[in-house]
Amino acid sequence: MSLLQLTALQSLFRYQSGRVIALGRVMLGIMFMIAVAFDHSEPHLAIFRTYAMLTLYGAVAILLAAATWRDWWLDARLAVPAHLTDMTVFTVIVFSANGTTSPFFLFFILPLLSAAIRWSWRETAITATALILLFLIAGALIAGDHSFELERFVIRAGHLLNLSLLLIWFGVHQLRTRLFFHADDLDAELGHRENPLARALELAMTSVAARGGALIVGPTGEEPSDGYSINGEEARSYNVERPLVRNATHPSLLYDMAEDHVLTRRPDGHFRFLDASELVDREEALALGLREGLIAEVRTGTLHGWLVLWDIPEISTDYIDLGRELGRATGAILDRHALFTAIETGAAARTRLTLARDVHDSVIQFLAGTAIRLEAIKRAAKSGAAVEGDLDDLKRLLVEEQGELRGFVSALRRDREVDLAEAVAELRVLADRLSHQWSVECRVSANGETAAIPIRLQLDLQHLLREAVANAVRHGRAKRIDVALGVQDNHLQLDVADNGSGFSPSRPTVEPWSLKERVERAHGSLRLVSAPGATNISISLPLGAAA
Amino acid sequence: MTTVLLVDDHPMIGAALEMLLRDTDYELLGRARSVADANSKLSKLKPDLVLLDVNLPDGSGLDVLRKLSRARSRPNVILLTAGMDDSQSLAAAELDPQGMVLKTSDPSLLTECIDTVAAGGRWIDPEIAQRTGQAQERAASAPPLTRRERELVELVRQGLRNRDIAAELGVTEGTVKVYLHAIFDKFRVGNRTELALRAADLISR
Repeated sequence: MSLLQLTALQSLFRYQSGRVIALGRVMLGIMFMIAVAFDHSEPHLAIFRTYAMLTLYGAVAILLAAATWRDWWLDARLAVPAHLTDMTVFTVIVFSANGTTSPFFLFFILPLLSAAIRWSWRETAITATALILLFLIAGALIAGDHSFELERFVIRAGHLLNLSLLLIWFGVHQLRTRLFFHADDLDAELGHRENPLARALELAMTSVAARGGALIVGPTGEEPSDGYSINGEEARSYNVERPLVRNATHPSLLYDMAEDHVLTRRPDGHFRFLDASELVDREEALALGLREGLIAEVRTGTLHGWLVLWDIPEISTDYIDLGRELGRATGAILDRHALFTAIETGAAARTRLTLARDVHDSVIQFLAGTAIRLEAIKRAAKSGAAVEGDLDDLKRLLVEEQGELRGFVSALRRDREVDLAEAVAELRVLADRLSHQWSVECRVSANGETAAIPIRLQLDLQHLLREAVANAVRHGRAKRIDVALGVQDNHLQLDVADNGSGFSPSRPTVEPWSLKERVERAHGSLRLVSAPGATNISISLPLGAAA
Repeated sequence: MTTVLLVDDHPMIGAALEMLLRDTDYELLGRARSVADANSKLSKLKPDLVLLDVNLPDGSGLDVLRKLSRARSRPNVILLTAGMDDSQSLAAAELDPQGMVLKTSDPSLLTECIDTVAAGGRWIDPEIAQRTGQAQERAASAPPLTRRERELVELVRQGLRNRDIAAELGVTEGTVKVYLHAIFDKFRVGNRTELALRAADLISR
């Protein structure tokens, strides 16, 4: 067979479990017809009906294969009915042919294998249980027949049970090595302040119950690398000058330093037996205290390194495959962390830009106002009027503005998170200033919870308060504004209630677009409830990674 | 005595201007903090002079000026600004107020401007005049409109919405948006109103 034909054949059945099962059913139907045609001893019960049923089954199998060959929808739709048909035929065969040459075993294998291929170990287990029960029931029904032999029946039941358990075990095993954890689920847990190496290592260790481990990664193609290791209770970060594994051609390997053994798999799945001294740097291994365990390669968009695990209870050859998955998952965690950090940094940079613009606007206007005031005071002084009061006012304003400027500058400098209490304190200071500025009474209350607030959210809060107060005074002529801040379901909740004119039912509610825009940018939601004499704005901003 | 209406939303500037006009030949009739507020106070108070900020919370002071320039009797207007971009400078020059002052200039210039305008003269901050000149030069050196852009600008001038423009030109609304933003960038205008205002100038080139 030429290579081209081989490739064509491969593509016919690659990722085509439905097709393979349907074809298997057709072959089974035909083979069985041939078998019973040659074997005169079977079937010995309900001969005509058995032949009729087998013919029907063969026809159905061919029809099924033809109909589902290129129709994935139909394949999925008919999967369960076809499965039930297979099981029914199995029962009939057990019932009608239980002699020494009964081909019942083939009919047992088909539904069991197709359940294992198509679905998970659970469906395989259910199918196996159902088939064994059907086997026992059919056996009980024909127990009086002359062809029935109890001994043969018990041995066959034992075979079925063994085979079922084996297939169920394969299903469970496949699930364990392939999907032992979902990188997606980790995102919520992965705080961005956390050391990503520590987090990834802890997760890898937990998944194989290892008592010790190290994660060593550095920029691709460069040394040194950053290392993080956990040994029992002790954890440390360190620098690694030399590569731990000399040859990066094995994504996962088991090592035993004392025996100088390394076991790995070739891409075709065959084992490869190597000397540990060939692959693993002895000095680095000694420094880590490696004896026996697993090493898996870790690759991310920009980093390359090794995940090393030791003190793994019941380590086995299966851990080679598991190691490969662990290495991939570890890379995914590191990548996600890098992405998250990049998004955070970008958001912080944008915040700084906005802040710079705000500083510019506010400070320029303030200074311009101050200059005009001084001009006015100069004139008044020239005409002999008393200016002391005006000068005092100006001095107070300057001191207040100084506070605001300090807030801006510290916001620019600060780390990426602040405490909720700190955010509330700053909001109170701002509320005081706004009260003075707009001649209203503005109060901030908080329910005393603790939470870490990303800096951009804290700045958003301040802007939202400024805009909400300005809106309430400008549009609603409010005299009193109550602000409540709290945390609920990982969301920051800001409620602003004012006693302004509100929106009368006859007038459509005007959307506070500037507020809305800012809230949407923070992936939050805004709800406005207004009636004459009161307006309530309820804003919810996500605290988590999605923000 | 000259009656004055002050339109500025910043509390510090408002208070400072109030102080500056105190005990002078000017009588401050009131203060507006938004475009809507300004429009209603203008028709109610009928001041002789308006000190008008360009950036207001619900729109542009230029909109107030535009509305005034269509009115039969209009007060003298002094635009106050902390800085304008090109499109604002060009729009302001077109609307031709009696005075323009930068808030960041020496306040004595502001009083000089107010006195000159109140006496029937014109007073434009030299820095604004210079910036406007530069903006005009930049606008003149902008590439001419393509045939498609010309059609689009014409339709914007007629006051059509994006959906109607799309139907008219046989393209999708999204395409209209893309084209419009390209035109905004090309001619440094901020929105369709400004584009409509400059449409005659752009199409005639």
